Amino acid sequence: MNYPFWDVDIGYGILMPLIAVIHVFVSHFAIGGGLYIVVAETAARKAGDTMRLEFLQRLSKFFVLVSVVFGALTGVGIWFIIGLLNPGGTEVLIHNFVFGWASEWAFFVIEILAAIIYYYGWNKLSPREHLIVGWIYFVAAWMSLFIINGIITFMLTPGEWLTTGNFWDGFFNPTFWSSLVLRTGICISLAGLYALLVASRYPSSPFKAKTVRYNAIWGLAGLIVVFLSFFWYKNAIPGDVMAHLAETISMPFTAIDQLYVYSAILAVGFIVFGLFIPKTFHPVTGVILMIVGLLWFGAYEWFRESARKPYVISDYMYANAIAVADVESLQENGLLPSIAYRTGDDGADLYRRVCRTCHTMTGYRALKPKFDGTDVDFIAAIIRGMHAMKGNMPPFPGTEEESQLLAAHIYNQVDHRHIKTIYNFEGIELGRKVYEIRCGKCHVIGGYNDKTESLVDLSDEEYNDLLDMAGDLGEEMPDFTGDDTERQALIEYLKTLTEGGAQ
Amino acid sequence: MNLPDYHFFPAPLWLITTLHILTLTLHFAAMNFMFGGIVVILFCKLQDKWQHPVVLQFVKLFPTAMAATVTLGVAPLLFVQLVYPQQIYSASIISGWFWLLIFVVAIISYYFLYAGSFSKTGGNKLGTYLTVALIGLLYISFVYSSVFSLAEHPTLMKTLYAGNQSGLIINSHIGSYIFRWLHMLLGAITVGGFFVGLLGRHDNRIFPVGKRFFLWGMIITMVIGVVYMFTFGEYLRAYMRSPAIWWLLVSFILSLASLHFFFKRRFVISGSMLFISLLGMVINRHIVRLIFLNEHYNPATIPVQPQWSVFIAFLLCFLLALGAVWYMLRMYFAPKHASSPR
Ligand code: HEC
Ligand code: HEC
Repeated sequence: MNYPFWDVDIGYGILMPLIAVIHVFVSHFAIGGGLYIVVAETAARKAGDTMRLEFLQRLSKFFVLVSVVFGALTGVGIWFIIGLLNPGGTEVLIHNFVFGWASEWAFFVIEILAAIIYYYGWNKLSPREHLIVGWIYFVAAWMSLFIINGIITFMLTPGEWLTTGNFWDGFFNPTFWSSLVLRTGICISLAGLYALLVASRYPSSPFKAKTVRYNAIWGLAGLIVVFLSFFWYKNAIPGDVMAHLAETISMPFTAIDQLYVYSAILAVGFIVFGLFIPKTFHPVTGVILMIVGLLWFGAYEWFRESARKPYVISDYMYANAIAVADVESLQENGLLPSIAYRTGDDGADLYRRVCRTCHTMTGYRALKPKFDGTDVDFIAAIIRGMHAMKGNMPPFPGTEEESQLLAAHIYNQVDHRHIKTIYNFEGIELGRKVYEIRCGKCHVIGGYNDKTESLVDLSDEEYNDLLDMAGDLGEEMPDFTGDDTERQALIEYLKTLTEGGAQ
Repeated sequence: MNLPDYHFFPAPLWLITTLHILTLTLHFAAMNFMFGGIVVILFCKLQDKWQHPVVLQFVKLFPTAMAATVTLGVAPLLFVQLVYPQQIYSASIISGWFWLLIFVVAIISYYFLYAGSFSKTGGNKLGTYLTVALIGLLYISFVYSSVFSLAEHPTLMKTLYAGNQSGLIINSHIGSYIFRWLHMLLGAITVGGFFVGLLGRHDNRIFPVGKRFFLWGMIITMVIGVVYMFTFGEYLRAYMRSPAIWWLLVSFILSLASLHFFFKRRFVISGSMLFISLLGMVINRHIVRLIFLNEHYNPATIPVQPQWSVFIAFLLCFLLALGAVWYMLRMYFAPKHASSPR
């Protein structure tokens, strides 16, 4: 905890993807587009197709503007944002991989210069020289993907590195190759998408039909590569990680579903508009397909990021920059003494360090509604049991006293009225709400850590006993601290439960 | 479980520092060409300048210079984060929004430079494009000076952060970096004057412009540099006793010599001297940082666990890059294409 914490109102979970998705979208295009352009130029030169060469020249201007300027600078933007949002995680990466990044930089230098010379060289270089520069561009761009891929995949599957600490073990980690093939497929598909957009502005003609069809084939080819390698990739993630995810968190699986849906839409789009009716390919279609492409790629990145929860580097450092190795000593000696930048408000400092990376109070993944109408002891117990909650959260890295401080900080910002008044519920409705707030965080009926089996067919007395000794049922389980109204409503609700989850 | 520790340097510190200083000097050289070039062109009193071939040549070169500046800036950013993570990240977080805006502003400036280079009309429009780009660059340079200076004052960082956590504060001790910033800017304009003179060496209207900016820029830069030095306060003594002072002397002599040879139109020797004097200033900057941080942090205390195999891989990539750059530039500027203007 050597760093200050940037307390922005926008959730970290929004700020990061905003920049990252745009960057990866452009930078992958910059790679695929490089291949597209040299392959197409080779063919066009062979056929002496001047119209096509003109199209490519136009594409290359767009290409330089987008990839050299936007791609490179949003890449710098990623550097900036990861340093702001997770300096601790970035520090780990930079110490281990600085020469990986430096090598990537060497290829970046080649890539940028080649792009510029390629663009300015259309009329200046001989055809052969021009093609050579094009190939240099593509190879350098792909090599930078090769390198950065090692670092990105490391974060999800550090593999042997966790025991050896060896650079190469971390770099060529279990998901390295599958991810490399997958991302190469994405590059190819995006090249098709961008080229489609540029071609869409041509008036309807046989030339346009030919170009659009050609571009759609690129889109489809990439899509197929991605589709196949995704299964390889998913299988390369250690089985226990996937099994654990399946139990605790739904996001990665929602992301996979979305990936399938967007893949299907893209495939249909390429086939129908690209292969069947290419002559009339409209810019609007191009833009829509591009947006679907963005969502498609975004879904993949979302899968990767959410599958890594609760870590920033799997099994090594949690998303809130607490090193796994430090948790025990922090729980013993406290988190506060280890925070270098304190503000004088300990509760707020704890909140920032422990929860704020993944939550806000009222905005992104808001905490306030989850605690409205509860009490400070309940909140403190939830904090101590955070790793037992759904959502795959890290353990609380502090002392019991600190959990109280943090709880008081959260409690000060929630609604202090009675749950009944806040939601205006009565009877069973109220009971369901009480369950959702006081139990549902850790036991989802028909879902995560379901306890329905132990909660059905009890007598009033047994229910009351159960709630009286709630704190003893499990290490992380809070005492029941609701008042009588809540208790009666909850019992009434529990009585409606039946075995098997349905009610 | 014994998890790997990450508090180490993957190569000896001297090696990392050398790479850092070299790449930073190259970054500054490219930045000076672009920033200084823009200023000289915007502020020189030349009639019909927007029709002048040398001016237009600069306008065409600016986007590429920007690309070089950014590209060459990535490497030193990497090394500075490796060696001074606690200072650099902390300072940038405290000014978070200003810091983050840098890359957005850079994109805007970049596009305006491109707009200028693509514009066929010339005229006032060009001046507007360059002015907008310049304002962006001024913003970037100011935030950099502010943040990197803040990074050298750990106690100030803690005070500032305790007062505001939203990343909306800028280093309040303007006195400690305003001259540093101005010194950088004027230095850039000086070098810009050199480049304008160099590219306009065959033109009897442009060359004097370059000469003037080179000469006066250097004088003002030196004066501001001295003023900046006196803001060091308690650290001045340590500075005077450090090797930095020798480097300062070298830079001082070489810049004057560079001016001399420039006036004699010996551009290769003048440019080399200018570059070495820039390198000397970068080394100065580096030593000043160590002096300021001395009570809080000394990178030499971080253990070294060399990753030689990785370093060799990097070296090969780097040599490959040098080779590719040389190969492509040679191809592009080969004499068979001598007919074209560049
Ligand atoms: C690694 C990121 C991370 C950290 C750190 C984190 N959480 Fe969470 N939290 C999540 C995710 C993901 C969810 C699940 C959201 C969902 O399922 O919609 C969640 C859900 C919750 C929920 C709601 C459970 C429900 O009823 O749906 C609460 C309450 C909660 N977190 C509290 C906290 C508190 C308090 C802290 C700090 C002590 C904290 N979290 C730290 C990621 C995190
Ligand atoms: C902070 C998380 C958390 C909350 C909130 C929570 N529990 Fe639990 N509960 C646990 C844990 C942990 C266990 C014991 C380990 C296990 O089985 O997962 C447990 C065990 C139980 C058991 C015992 C199951 C058995 O078969 O022995 C029951 C019943 C139960 N909880 C009901 C409830 C009810 C009712 C509520 C709401 C009033 C509640 N829990 C709130 C975490 C929680």
